[in-house]
Amino acid sequence: MEDNHTPQPPAWAKKLLRLYCDPRFLEEVEGDLEEEFLYQCKKSSVSKARWDYCRTVLGFIKPFAKRKKSNLVSPMLSNHFKISFRQLMKNKTFSFINIFGLTLGFLCFILLSLYIHDELSFDLFHKDSSRIYRVLQHEKMDDGAMRHVATTAALVGPEAAAQFPEIESSLRISSIGRLTMGNDPANRGYEVITITDPNIFSFFDFPLLAGDPKTALVPPDVVVVSESLARKYFGTTDVLGKRIWTSVVRNDKPVEFTIAGVMKDFPKNSFLQFDVIFSDSSWPSMFPWYQDLISSDWVSNSYLTFLKLRDPVTQQAVEPRITQLVKDHYPATRAFKSEFTLQPLADIHLNSANIQDSDAAPNGMNSFYLYMFAGIGFLLLLIACLNYMNLSTAAALKRTREIGTRKTLGAQRVQLITQFITDSVVLSAIALVLALVILQIIFPAVNQFTDKELALTSLPLSWAAGILSVLFIAALLAALYPAFITARMTPAEALKKEIRVGNSRLPLRKMLVVAQFTISIIMISSTLVIYEQLDYLRNKDIGIETENLVVIDINSGRLRRNFESIKAEFGSPAEVISVSTSTRVPGEWKSFPVATVRPQGEPTGKEMIYVGIDNDFLATYDIKLKEGRNFNTGPADSTKVILTELAVKQLGLTNPVGQIVEIPVVRWGGSIEPLENVFRAEVVGVVEDFHFESLRTDMKPIIFVAPNTPVQRIDYYTLNVKTNNWPGVIEKLQAINNKIDPENPLEYTFLDNRFEGFYKADAQRGQIFLAFSLVVVLIACMGLFALVSFAVETRVKEIGIRKVLGASVNNIVGMISKEFLILIIIAGVLAVPVAYLFMQQWLQDFAYRISPGAGVFILAGLIIGLIAAITIGLRTVKAAAVNPVKSLRSE
Amino acid sequence: MKRVSLGEFEEIVLLTVMLLEGNAYGVTILHQIIEQTGRSVRLNQVHASLQRLEDKGMIKSKMSAPTHERGGRRKRLFTITFYGQKTLEEIQSVRANLWGMISGLRNS
Repeated sequence: MEDNHTPQPPAWAKKLLRLYCDPRFLEEVEGDLEEEFLYQCKKSSVSKARWDYCRTVLGFIKPFAKRKKSNLVSPMLSNHFKISFRQLMKNKTFSFINIFGLTLGFLCFILLSLYIHDELSFDLFHKDSSRIYRVLQHEKMDDGAMRHVATTAALVGPEAAAQFPEIESSLRISSIGRLTMGNDPANRGYEVITITDPNIFSFFDFPLLAGDPKTALVPPDVVVVSESLARKYFGTTDVLGKRIWTSVVRNDKPVEFTIAGVMKDFPKNSFLQFDVIFSDSSWPSMFPWYQDLISSDWVSNSYLTFLKLRDPVTQQAVEPRITQLVKDHYPATRAFKSEFTLQPLADIHLNSANIQDSDAAPNGMNSFYLYMFAGIGFLLLLIACLNYMNLSTAAALKRTREIGTRKTLGAQRVQLITQFITDSVVLSAIALVLALVILQIIFPAVNQFTDKELALTSLPLSWAAGILSVLFIAALLAALYPAFITARMTPAEALKKEIRVGNSRLPLRKMLVVAQFTISIIMISSTLVIYEQLDYLRNKDIGIETENLVVIDINSGRLRRNFESIKAEFGSPAEVISVSTSTRVPGEWKSFPVATVRPQGEPTGKEMIYVGIDNDFLATYDIKLKEGRNFNTGPADSTKVILTELAVKQLGLTNPVGQIVEIPVVRWGGSIEPLENVFRAEVVGVVEDFHFESLRTDMKPIIFVAPNTPVQRIDYYTLNVKTNNWPGVIEKLQAINNKIDPENPLEYTFLDNRFEGFYKADAQRGQIFLAFSLVVVLIACMGLFALVSFAVETRVKEIGIRKVLGASVNNIVGMISKEFLILIIIAGVLAVPVAYLFMQQWLQDFAYRISPGAGVFILAGLIIGLIAAITIGLRTVKAAAVNPVKSLRSE
Repeated sequence: MKRVSLGEFEEIVLLTVMLLEGNAYGVTILHQIIEQTGRSVRLNQVHASLQRLEDKGMIKSKMSAPTHERGGRRKRLFTITFYGQKTLEEIQSVRANLWGMISGLRNS
């Protein structure tokens, strides 16, 4: 009598029992279980009874699960597995090489898949990602070139959203510099001032841990901070409602912002990365220009503007309407030469290379590298499978007895093929498990190296299934070749062992070896080229001193005012040789102003980097004066300029000193600012050329102005320091900074580190390439080793007879090695053009690059040749040294 | 005679079956063993043991008539076979002999 009040054992346990239990015993077992369950319910408690029930059900699995075993696995299949394992145990070296090779291949393939998936998954975690677009402005410049900017004027987004029904909502994000933050003066840091519209948390899916996503950013003087920022300044994430000190000043008092929300840290695969977001309404009261900007701006490039369309199909229709909208509102005094387009959110990370102000892909990642990594992944898998194919074919030829016997006993072709496929399934499964285990172990290191959050669990099911099928299809295909070879044999052939490894069967296997080593040589020579290029970038004389220069960032008015006396303060330690101040420094990572400069009276000009420097700048950076003079101290030189030689050349000036140049326009990043009055200045000096930016871009001409021109403020001090005790010097500098400005910490960088930073991503890719090259070479060599072993083993008698007839060890080693070394040479010939083309493509990224000569490829060939020779030699010398008595005695 | 080994737990189960003559099935045997030995035993262990004993021919079983208990499911009732009894007696006598010799040694 079951009713709802009697306690019931867990349903899943019951089901499980029925699933496995032999039906002959099911009734009594179920009955006993239930009786005992009810007894336990009465005696102790329902929960204990349930617990016991489950444990007992699990315990029953062992003796009572007899039912299906014999039906599930046919005796033949279990025999296949048995034979597979026996083969594995029998040829330990061979099995090890095979499993190891496959494991490495699988490991790299999975790892690269994860990496590529991560790159492709950027910004897709927003649930509306397919409907979100970024507004791009494409403007035609005076010289006819197009410039693409990721930022737009303030009103473009909101007005477009208000006027066009296709647009659901808009969002603006802007950064207006940095500020100092933190309640504890000893624990302050610099944070970017990011301002967004209040709807960011409904527009994007950045979850808030605390605070109301709808209203958090509405009131003035509030911020939303990330978990890690909260921990950094408060030591806890429970900071809602707390106030935080900043260096922003209103009415001469620092503004304290109230924390209105705590964000979960942004995922690493978001191209937007903010730690703190300020409400838009805070700023008009602090900066009068901000009010103007947000209420009337149709021109500037200040905001990343995102639009969410109701339906992605309308993208094409909306684009020209936005262009028209801006055109209608554009000030009559300025020519409108732009076009607006919408860039899908998902495209931003990988396709923003030529877009100014983009914020995306700071590591220079683009689709070229993605294809490259995908290529490497498949090549590695291919190599591992070729290895497998080659080795198991060789092994199959050793197993002819077994195959012959099977055939004689009536085995069908299908059955023989099944045996080989079973072999491959067993091996691949072992390799896969090993690869996954290794992957789990190396994940932390990989994630640290790539600064990503890679994990197997981040893969969607479709990718996981895809990867697994690729791996197993590859392994199966690799198994088919040896399977068909052996299936084709007649039993007589097989039993007589007449299949020769020497000649007839080798062409395909030779081709496999050639393929493997071609890939190896391509990888190695590419790695060498990458390293050579990096070396070139690091050591190229860029025209200035970068070592021993400390750059101090000016972040407050206190450090900016009276710079002459502050220069003297920073110059006071004995280790400081010279101090200079400037508006920008070489190796600049912030946007720097670019001036259009023209000789007096000319209609068009050239773009030049526009930097304000003091009279110590040239000496500090070791820039040589070619003509004329340096700036003088004092305000007299405010209408004088110094040009680099390249600037003189581009302006077409002869006898530049004393001539007048005009600057009508200065461009900041994406933002163009025509000057109210054309700036006219006299050239007083010419200096030698140097690189202001990374060597990816062409050298640009530079125009220097005195630091006290009204156009821009000084932003850096550069100190030339000679010391062996860097920490001591830095401490002194910090003390000086604290004396001048107790509220803002000293922010300094080393100039050489900045230049090094330009190539960090390249260096990282170099390391990745190196690692994969080593894996490729390793797999290929293991394959070669095993192959030589088989060749040698099948020719033991031949070697013995040759020795008896007087051949020396050298003769024999030479004889066997020759066959294989020829393959390596063929591989080299095939590899060089491919590697050359590939590297040419990569080098296009750099304005200054090496032209890879024959040397690199010869070196790569030699390295591979040497490694291959050692591999072959190790095995053949051993075989050749064997006393012929031994090899000939046994029959 | 073929020598059949009997595990310690099997011996206890076998003895319990004999003790419960006529009403020996999974749950009663389980409870009896727990009561007599104080061990924590599970049903699956008892069943496994019973099955082995049946394989060895020491017990035989038949299904009971269905009752209202246990949702109408039948029980498998076990009885000890002659061979089972013989085996137990043999074990008993071997042990008794040994004990006798031990006490004889001690007394002398």
